Amino acid sequence: MRRRASMSLLAILAFVLLAPLVPYAVAYMGPGNNPNPGADLWREIRQREAPVAGTTQVESVESAILINKGGEDWRNFRMQQLVPIGAWVLGGMLVLLVAFYFFRGRIRIEGGRSGMVVERFSVAQRMVHWFVAGLFILLGVTGLVLLYGRFVLIPLLGPEGFGATASACKEAHNLFGPLFPFAVLAVFAYYVKGNSFRWRDVKWFANFGGLLKEGGHAGSGRYNGGQKVWFWLIVIFGLIISVSGYILVFPNFGQGRELMALAHLGHGIVAIFFITASLGHIYIGSVGMEGALEAMTTGEVDTNWAREHHDIWLEQMEADGQVRPARRSVGAVPKEGAADAG
Amino acid sequence: MIGAFIDGPLWYFSLAVFVLGVTWRLASLWRLGSHPEFSKPREGSPGGGGLQTLARHFLPRREVVGRTPAQVYGGYAFHLGLFALLFWGAPHVEFYEERLLGFGWTPLPGWAFILACEIAFAGLIVVWLHRALHPVTRAISDRGDHAASILVFLVMLTGCLALGRSHESLRLIHLFSAELLLIYFPFSMLMHTFTFAVSRWRMGEHYGRRGVSI
Repeated sequence: MRRRASMSLLAILAFVLLAPLVPYAVAYMGPGNNPNPGADLWREIRQREAPVAGTTQVESVESAILINKGGEDWRNFRMQQLVPIGAWVLGGMLVLLVAFYFFRGRIRIEGGRSGMVVERFSVAQRMVHWFVAGLFILLGVTGLVLLYGRFVLIPLLGPEGFGATASACKEAHNLFGPLFPFAVLAVFAYYVKGNSFRWRDVKWFANFGGLLKEGGHAGSGRYNGGQKVWFWLIVIFGLIISVSGYILVFPNFGQGRELMALAHLGHGIVAIFFITASLGHIYIGSVGMEGALEAMTTGEVDTNWAREHHDIWLEQMEADGQVRPARRSVGAVPKEGAADAG
Repeated sequence: MIGAFIDGPLWYFSLAVFVLGVTWRLASLWRLGSHPEFSKPREGSPGGGGLQTLARHFLPRREVVGRTPAQVYGGYAFHLGLFALLFWGAPHVEFYEERLLGFGWTPLPGWAFILACEIAFAGLIVVWLHRALHPVTRAISDRGDHAASILVFLVMLTGCLALGRSHESLRLIHLFSAELLLIYFPFSMLMHTFTFAVSRWRMGEHYGRRGVSI
């Protein structure tokens, strides 16, 4: 009797201890000789076949998805394509501009200063230009720090220094970014008149704007073909960057991870091309061409400069009696609200 | 060590310069007195005129808005935005409670603080661009005017950079720039923060005595 009771107790104990090991033994002996019995569970979690959402008490966008497979794709694209290709594009543009400067030099006013000037941009137009330019430079620099800072600045500042710099750039980028769409709208409102494409713009492009050799000339109205392309790039790029930026900086409207990742990549790709194009604009408006920067600082340009680069526009201004000597007479203060007639 | 200096002695020094400097400037204005009034007082109260002018001149005249919209809208945006973020921004309310007053108040919610910052920045940039680009304001502006605008912008910018509250160095840079502003303040055109009230009151008082509402 006692022997039977002891044997029964031993049997129960053996069953309790060994029974949980049965699934492992089955899995071990199963197809593919998979030693990991949790492989099926982990495969489902990693969503290698299809996205799987579980159930959760947390009410939030995509809170039931444990691991976001798309995140790895996004990270790989950013680090292996966006960052290196963007660096080549930006660096290539800088090299091109330096080479152009050494090849062509500064584009001078061929006939020298005439002593006569014509008003090119009103106070309002210049304010809009410098507002958007200042914002663009701040957002561009902070954005480039966020994209490339770890490669360039950590060796210079160390991890702690870079941490503070990146934090500062992120805050500045996020605070000033929402102002950019309004600046782009203002650019559109104040500069759209005269920026529609015409047949002479094709001829302007065919002549490379008359910029490749001394004495070269390509006829142009108020805005030449290059300026029109730049204007419409500002509008289109500005729109894309603004929409994607708002998606990123205000994640309170049900955006999922996929949309955020797409917005981030679109934002980054367009920003790279936007900055690249702006380098050409900044070059030709400052170092690259004598007399160009004055249009945006004083609002006036020398008539010889206008004749060489915007001859058709100058003819109209001369016909309207808008040309005057370079020293402004007392009392000739432009009305700030008026956009210039094109 | 430099952090302790900015948080400690330099803060107290800048606060002292600000308080004593503003008091000295206002006292010197008060000591100037006013010329004796020889005209008869009409119907109307000088005090009432002063109060009325002080309040009414917070609103712009229609003729001015039409002629200089950038200065009016930009100016209001900057001043109202700065007022909101300076006195109702959560980091500032905490600072006043810890360092100055011993008590605080309900700050703006985060989104409203950010909105006030952006409005203030936009307004400041617009009015400074107008000052730099319009031939009249460019001609009448001196180095002090530009220095005040740039210094205020720097204080606001460093504050923006420290918004994340993640690095002590950024907070110290902001505090340091604010201390420089406090030291510069009493000796600059920024005194209009206080003198505008004196100026409006005196003008309203002067005309109120004559029964004229301006």
